[in-house]
Amino acid sequence: MTVQQATEEDIKDRALVDRSTRFPVLFFFTSALAWLFVSTVLGFASALKLRNPGLFEEAVFLQYGRLFPMHMTALVYGWAIQAGIGVLLWLMARLTRYRLSAQEQGGLVVLGHVWNALVAIAVICIGLGFGRSIPWLDMPSWMLPLFLLTYAALTVWVFPMYKNRRSGSVYISEYYLVGAAVWFPWIFITASALIGQEAAPAMAAGAASWFASNLVYFWMAPIALAVAYYIVPKIADRPVHSYGVAKFGFWVLAVLAGWTGFHRFYGGPFAAWIPAASGAAVVFILLAVVATYSNLWCTLRGKTQLWEFSPSLRFTAIGMLFFAGYCGLSALSIFPGVQAKLQFSFFQNGLDVLAVYGFFSMTIFGAMYFIVPRITGCEWPSAGSIRNHFWYSTYGILTLVVCLLVAGLAQGGYLAQPDIPFSTSFLNAGPWVIGSAVAWVLIGFSNLWFFGQMALMFIGKGKKSANPTLIHGGGHGDHDPQHVAEEAVAS
Amino acid sequence: MSDNSEERNLDYEAGTPSVVDMHSAVRREKILQPSGSESVGLWPLIFGAIILVAGGGFLFKNANGFSNSTYIETTYVPAPRPPSDGGEELVDDRPWIEKWMGEGKKVYGQCAACHMAGGEGGAGNPPLVGSEWVNGGTQRLGAILLHGVNGPLTVAGQSYNGVMPAWSTLSDKKLAQVITYVRRDFGTLPDGDDGIVTVEMIGAAREMFKDQSGAYNEAQLLAIPEDGNLPGAQVDPLTGEAL
Repeated sequence: MTVQQATEEDIKDRALVDRSTRFPVLFFFTSALAWLFVSTVLGFASALKLRNPGLFEEAVFLQYGRLFPMHMTALVYGWAIQAGIGVLLWLMARLTRYRLSAQEQGGLVVLGHVWNALVAIAVICIGLGFGRSIPWLDMPSWMLPLFLLTYAALTVWVFPMYKNRRSGSVYISEYYLVGAAVWFPWIFITASALIGQEAAPAMAAGAASWFASNLVYFWMAPIALAVAYYIVPKIADRPVHSYGVAKFGFWVLAVLAGWTGFHRFYGGPFAAWIPAASGAAVVFILLAVVATYSNLWCTLRGKTQLWEFSPSLRFTAIGMLFFAGYCGLSALSIFPGVQAKLQFSFFQNGLDVLAVYGFFSMTIFGAMYFIVPRITGCEWPSAGSIRNHFWYSTYGILTLVVCLLVAGLAQGGYLAQPDIPFSTSFLNAGPWVIGSAVAWVLIGFSNLWFFGQMALMFIGKGKKSANPTLIHGGGHGDHDPQHVAEEAVAS
Repeated sequence: MSDNSEERNLDYEAGTPSVVDMHSAVRREKILQPSGSESVGLWPLIFGAIILVAGGGFLFKNANGFSNSTYIETTYVPAPRPPSDGGEELVDDRPWIEKWMGEGKKVYGQCAACHMAGGEGGAGNPPLVGSEWVNGGTQRLGAILLHGVNGPLTVAGQSYNGVMPAWSTLSDKKLAQVITYVRRDFGTLPDGDDGIVTVEMIGAAREMFKDQSGAYNEAQLLAIPEDGNLPGAQVDPLTGEAL
C-alpha cells in the first residue's frame, strides 16, 4: 500500500476549515460541558434523595419527582444534544471541506444561545412543577415546537454542506451524521404528537419509551459511530477496513432502530406482536454492533498500543465498548424471564446512564480531545488531567451502571410479588442507590478535570507545543502517537 | 460554491497568515485514506448468524402470528392483597359456578365475533340460541370446538354454508369454561343436566375425537349420538369439587 502524504494545499485547507468552525464548536462544547456538570450535581442530589427522602424537605423544587427529570433534561438536552451538534458541525465541515462564513458562524452561536436558554427554561419549569412526567420529554408542551425549530435551524446546514462536498465519494461518517440530523426531528415530532393524544395513555407511555430508545439509537449512536469511524482510521493511519461492512452497519441501524422502544413494555397493554417485534429489533441491532466492531478492530489491528498514548483513541475505544455493553444488555433484557425480574426497576435507569454517559459521552470526549487542539491551535495542558478524566469517568460509569443493575435485580424481583409492600422492594435496593450517589461524585470529579482543561483551552491558555499531549510520555521529544507507540514496542 | 466559500473566507484568511504554523495539530495529522473493501473474517459472520437465530426465534415465539387481538398471555396471577391496616381481606367468595361462567364469558369474546354477544348469530353465521347442536349432549359440541366445521350445516331448520375454525389450541380449562357458558346461557338444557363441563370432560373429548383429521362435515357430526355426553364426574356448583 502506498502511503499518501497530505499536500501543503490539503493542510492549509484543513486548517482553514478548522478555523472557520472555531467559535460555534467551542461554544457548543463549553456550554454542553457546563450542562453536564449541572446534570451531574442534580443526579447526585436525586440519588441522595432516594436514600434520604427527608433531605431539603422545605424546598419543593428539590424533591425527587422534580430533581430527577431536571437531571435527565439537563443531561439529554443540555449535554447530549449540544455536544452532539458541536461534533456534527466540526466533523461535517471537515469531511466536506466546507468553510463557514462569518455570518454562518455568528448565526450558529446566536442559535446556540437560544438553545441554552431553552434548556435553562425547561429545567426551571420542571423545578417549578410544570414538568410532564414523561421520561426524556419532561419539558412543558409549549416548549416542544421551540426546541424543534431551534434544532432544525442548528442542523439544517448539514444538507448544503453534504450537497456541496468537495470530495466525490461519501465517507462513512457522513452517512451517520446526515442520518442523525434527519432522525432526531422525526422521532421528536412523532413522540410529541402521539403523547399529546390524551385519549390513549398506554400509547403515550409506549411512545415515550420509543422516543427514549430512539434518542439513543437514532441520535447518540450515529454521532458516536461517526466519531469512531473518523478517529480510529485517523489515529491508526489506516483506511477503514471495509466500506461495505461499514455501510451494512449503518443500514441495519437505519432500518431497525425505529422498531425499538416498545420492548420495555413487554406484557403491557399492546398486541403481543408489538413488543415482540420491538425486542427482535433490539436483538438484530447487535448485527450493526458486530459489523462496526469487526470493522474497527480490523482497522486498528496491530496498532492497539496506540490506545496507551492517544486520548482521542482511548476515550473513543472505551465508548465503543460501552456501546456494545448497552446493546448487549438491552438485547438480554427483552427475554421474558429477564423482564420478570428487571422490568420497571433501576435496571432501566442503569441502561440509560450506560447509553448517555457510558458510550455517548465517552466517545464525544474522544472527539473533543481530537477537535479542540485543532480549532484552538494549542495543546491540552496536562496529561495527568487527561488520565484523571479517563479513569475517574470509567470507574464512575462502571460503578454507577453495576450499582443500578444490581439495584434493579434487588428491586425488580420484589416488585413482582404482591404480598411484599412496594416500599420493601425499594428499601432493598437502598445500598446500591448509595453506591450510585458515590459514582456520581466520581463522575462529577472527573468532569471537573476535563472542564478545567477545556476552560484553559477556551481562553487560549493551552500548551503551546508542536507535539500532542499524550496520556503517557507526553511532551518529551518529537513524536506523534504512532511514533511513540513504535518506540514503546521496540523498547 | 467552493469558489464562493473561498471568497467568503478571504478576509479571515488574510488576517491569519500563519494559520498553518499555528495548527501543528493539523500539520502532523494523518490524511483520511479512501476506505478499503477487505473481508472482516469468519467470526463476525458466525456472531451474525447467532444473532439472527436468537432474534428470529424470539420474534416468532412471541409475536403470536402478528395478530392484533392477541395480547401476551401472562401466567402471573396476583395473590389476594394482604390487609394493610388490619381490615378484612378481599376474598372472592362467589360460588364456583359463577366464577366458572364469568371466565367462560371472557373466552366467549372470541366466539362473539361471528355468533354475536347474545348468541343470536347473523350475517351467514348460525345462531347458538335455539340450536340443536347446543341443546343436545356435550359430545357434539366438544367435537365441533376441537376440530371445527366445514361445509353445509343445518341449524334450527336453516342451512348454513361456512367454516368454523378449530379451537383445539385453547386450553382444556378455557374450552370447558366456554362450553359451560354457552350451554347454560344460550342453550335449553336437557332434563337433569346442569350444563357444567369440566376439564376432565374436555380431556376425554380430546381422546374420543383424536382420530378426526381436519374439520367435520354435517354427516360426520350426525354420526355422533345427539344425546351423547362426555364422560366425567359431575361437580358441585358451589365448590367445583367432584361429587
